[in-house]
Amino acid sequence: MNKITTGSEASRLSPQTIKPVGTDPGKPQGAFGDVLKQAVTEINQLQNSADKAITGVQLGQSGSIHEAMIALEKADISFRAMMQVRNKILDAYQEIMRMQV
Amino acid sequence: MDFITSFDISSSGLSAQRKKMDVIVSNLANASTIQTPEGGPYKRKVVVLAAEPVNGKFGNALKDALSQVKVQEIFEDGEGLKKVHDPTHPNADDQGFVTYPNVNVMTEMADMITVNRAYEACVTALDATKNMALKALDIGK
Repeated sequence: MNKITTGSEASRLSPQTIKPVGTDPGKPQGAFGDVLKQAVTEINQLQNSADKAITGVQLGQSGSIHEAMIALEKADISFRAMMQVRNKILDAYQEIMRMQV
Repeated sequence: MDFITSFDISSSGLSAQRKKMDVIVSNLANASTIQTPEGGPYKRKVVVLAAEPVNGKFGNALKDALSQVKVQEIFEDGEGLKKVHDPTHPNADDQGFVTYPNVNVMTEMADMITVNRAYEACVTALDATKNMALKALDIGK
């Protein structure tokens, strides 16, 4: 988990991924899109590991209750964070759409 | 995400306390077991906990400042086995003594309460961390 976080941090900060916005209109995939995609992938991984943990507990195979609950909490909080980002993006979009021309 | 480090530390604490609980339950269940596969009576087991550096981002920044807990080993306490004179017992030795385990039920019960409280403390810390993360998500609402 930590590896993934540090990986995304590194790519976010490395000069290769930070492309100047607005200078390359031919490419729709900007740095922001990449970051967003990476965040969603990360959250998806957390959701999957929560799924796996709770399945393991339910089937009595492996893992303890607290580990499953913690995996669920991690998935929950990261999902909520993603929802906040989505809300902010939508707000910005709507703000732009309301702009008088 | 930074709160995950706190979650992991809490998780290690919860796991360690669960292991301790398992050992205490084993001691209590075998409080009067006089036969074991290794021979002789059951010997009281004791858990040794050790600190382990956290590999999180925050842990890297502060080097050895953060540590989680792990179970280092579970050793057998061979001291204080009780000898009871009972010549008619099938397990009695040449002098008619039967050796009983060195498990003190009072000590084990006290340990159990400690473990319970420590587990609760870890859960409370985890809840507090979660609330902090959720509060942070409320910023700007």
